[in-house]
Amino acid sequence: MTTVLSARGVSVSFGGVHAVVDVDLDVEPGQLVGLIGPNGAGKTTFVDAISGFVPHRGTVTLDGVDITGSSPHSRARRGLSRTWQAIELFDDLTVRENLTVAAQHPSTLATLKELFARPIPLSQGIDEALEAFALEELADATPTELTQGQRKLVGVARALAARPKCLCLDEPAAGLDAHESVAFGRHLREIVDRGTPTLLIDHDMGLVLGISDHVVVLEFGQVIADGTPGEVRSDPSVVAAYLGSAADELTAAD
Amino acid sequence: MQDLVLFVLLGLGAGSVIAGIALAVVITYRGSGIINLAIGAISMVAAYAFWALRSDFFGITLATVPAIVVVMLSSILVGVVSELLVFRPLRTSSPLAKLVASLGILLTLQATMLLWFGSASKQIPNVFPDDILQIFDTSIPANRFWMAAVVVVISLAVGAVYRWTRFGLATRAASENEVFAMLAGLSPNQLSMVNTLLASALAGAMGIIAAPLAQADSTTLVLFIVPALAAALFAGFTSLPIAVIAGFGIGIGQSLMFYASTLSWFPTEQGGNPLPGTQALLTFVLLVVALSLRGASLPTRGELVEKRLPEAPRPKHLARSAAVFGAIGVVLLVVLPFGYRQALMLSLIGMVLCLSLVVITGFVGQVSLAQVALAGVAGFVVSHMIVDAGIGFPWGPIAGSIAGVVVGLIVGASALRVRGVSLAVVTLAGVVAIEQFGFASKRWGAGSAGSPVEQPSLLGFDLGTTASYRGLDGKLPSPVLGFVFLACVIALCLLVAQIRRSVLGQQMLAVRANERAAAAAGINVARVKITAYAISSFIAGTAGWMYAYNFGSVSAARFGFLIALAFVAFAYIGGITMVSGAVIGGLVATEGLVPHFFQELLGISGNWTLLVGGLILIVTVIQNPEGVAGTTYRKRQASKRAKAAADVATETMARAGES
Repeated sequence: MTTVLSARGVSVSFGGVHAVVDVDLDVEPGQLVGLIGPNGAGKTTFVDAISGFVPHRGTVTLDGVDITGSSPHSRARRGLSRTWQAIELFDDLTVRENLTVAAQHPSTLATLKELFARPIPLSQGIDEALEAFALEELADATPTELTQGQRKLVGVARALAARPKCLCLDEPAAGLDAHESVAFGRHLREIVDRGTPTLLIDHDMGLVLGISDHVVVLEFGQVIADGTPGEVRSDPSVVAAYLGSAADELTAAD
Repeated sequence: MQDLVLFVLLGLGAGSVIAGIALAVVITYRGSGIINLAIGAISMVAAYAFWALRSDFFGITLATVPAIVVVMLSSILVGVVSELLVFRPLRTSSPLAKLVASLGILLTLQATMLLWFGSASKQIPNVFPDDILQIFDTSIPANRFWMAAVVVVISLAVGAVYRWTRFGLATRAASENEVFAMLAGLSPNQLSMVNTLLASALAGAMGIIAAPLAQADSTTLVLFIVPALAAALFAGFTSLPIAVIAGFGIGIGQSLMFYASTLSWFPTEQGGNPLPGTQALLTFVLLVVALSLRGASLPTRGELVEKRLPEAPRPKHLARSAAVFGAIGVVLLVVLPFGYRQALMLSLIGMVLCLSLVVITGFVGQVSLAQVALAGVAGFVVSHMIVDAGIGFPWGPIAGSIAGVVVGLIVGASALRVRGVSLAVVTLAGVVAIEQFGFASKRWGAGSAGSPVEQPSLLGFDLGTTASYRGLDGKLPSPVLGFVFLACVIALCLLVAQIRRSVLGQQMLAVRANERAAAAAGINVARVKITAYAISSFIAGTAGWMYAYNFGSVSAARFGFLIALAFVAFAYIGGITMVSGAVIGGLVATEGLVPHFFQELLGISGNWTLLVGGLILIVTVIQNPEGVAGTTYRKRQASKRAKAAADVATETMARAGES
């Protein structure tokens, strides 16, 4: 099977600052890959780069197709869905509509038909995504009526509704309490096991190391470790990078 | 060569006034985030006041210096009153609400001056010596240099204030991030007030020094706001020196364009006159080029309250609403006396224009002021089709709507990377350019007169205003054309409601909410915007040929820049995100049903209507920052929710009683 998402030599510089340097990263079918690193390590910049929101060097392929030069929306339509740290829901749309715009991309002809005749049948991905996070009851609410935790879940559900080839989640568990975070991890693992390979970026070491198949660690924009959660946990450079409170967290996650 | 120098130096005059007003625009924006369209109107007030004080209008004649002092104080008073009564209550409203409110101030000031001083223009007293200077063998009035000198000195002084005083530092801090400035103990209200003081004093000064160029009348100085906004936009609404330099540049550029139009190679129209409006066209083109080179987003202020457009609820019960609306419309067209019937027909046209704004501004969040100009394009195409080619209904209107779409797409494509208030300014410059270069031209438009339009007929049936069926009172205009309009309005309302319910409409709202997240959801943002421009221009074009048939002619005056602004105001007041809002907007539009009713009821007319209209505009915006339809919707939602909560409570109590 081809690698689902493959980044080779991805680098991003802002002026003289090298935010991401020569990062290689693969997501294989059925895998949940974790990307961790201290604050300012370049994790979000890396996601911005592969999803087309900042100019970068290196190549990105999705399911064997080179998407390096594509615009953000065409990367999304080819199956690379991402979420945002700040959630960024469309506040003017209901939850179901939020998912719909990500899942449905009707042609001009289909739009004309929809305007003058019949509604477009809704993609199954929408109901599946709502169900995956138990959001059915909130489908007609607007994002402003939801709690922070619910908004986070809607953000992930929106990315999932497009039935992506690869899901990129930028800090989906930040702001969730410990209980919600565990439940979220369980949901996420189910989604991956049902066939959506995922790249997970998060600060919550326990969450990432607990559910990932493979972990990549960034520091100062560079990959300092790459392996199974077990290997990463015992890697001396990782321990060094996380000296202090985070190091305790690493051991605590054992 | 001599002539070139002459016109460059003559251009200093207009350049000074543009630069001064541009400076006031930037100061206001930095102080409070408001684009104040009424700044040119403050200059107008100052010009009238200066004339009145120097010519015994109030029974006393002041010497020049005391008169200047009083004029400056009254300009400041106008600024402070509008700040306290209008802008402060709107502090947390959307930028569009503030823009609409500033238009209300502009109209109110215009009407007040006309009522007070009459419609004849007044000669502003000269404050500069009448010397003529000899430079490069040409004679140039010295007052141009005096004007430039005054503006340069004021600019340097203002620059020094912002650079070296604590107030200047505070303003710069607040314009970068209001929240942090508040945390640092700065009051945004105070800062905004001081900046308003400065800006209105500056605007007042421009009214006095403009004497060699302009008279005190209700439009000349008011319209200086357009090139001044362009200059401010060149400066990103931030840099004071760039705003001043751009202001002088635009003034000199326009003067040179005027010079060019006197030369033999310059294109002419019928009658051998040079093409009109090339100066406005120049400003617009420069603006588009500058913005596309720079990728123009205004610096966003870190603001305490995120200011969004009102919500756009999903419309329900389309068939029922359309049937009720249609039935009421038919009955009214038949029953109403002719004056009200004509007002209703104009309201129907206004509804169509407001609908076009619902699509582009309400759904996609693009503040386009160009819709009325697009209507004009369609109207003129209909007229030229019948006059030049003998093609009438229905092919003329179809061609007209298509022409509207084409021009709309050009405007849309040139403004794709521009958003928010910058877009409003660019489209405003576009409106003025289309009006002066297109509509006022004898070649493409109608010159200063109107261009006739033959009444429509289809398969031998007369559909025009003179059709044989005349309603109950038997007078003109015939309700038949009204029926045609009503059918168009219902069809377009249904179209816009369907758009809101479709995936396309949801994509539009997604783009409006967050362009970055929309792209990440796979939405082609540029395509959605272009589609919206096309639909919205088509609707505006429809309004254009409706106007043409209603009046039997088209003229530039009907599609001018103040009318373009007024329609944004009507659409906003009605509720710019909802179809029902467009219906309300049409009812309150100029010469529509509601103004006609007030005119009949109160017996007011002309400038009093303008004054009342301006004041109502301001009050309505403050009372309903989301528009009348939006406020009604929200109240209904709230009562529904309260009822649901009450139901749940009763049910729970009943259950508790059972167990």
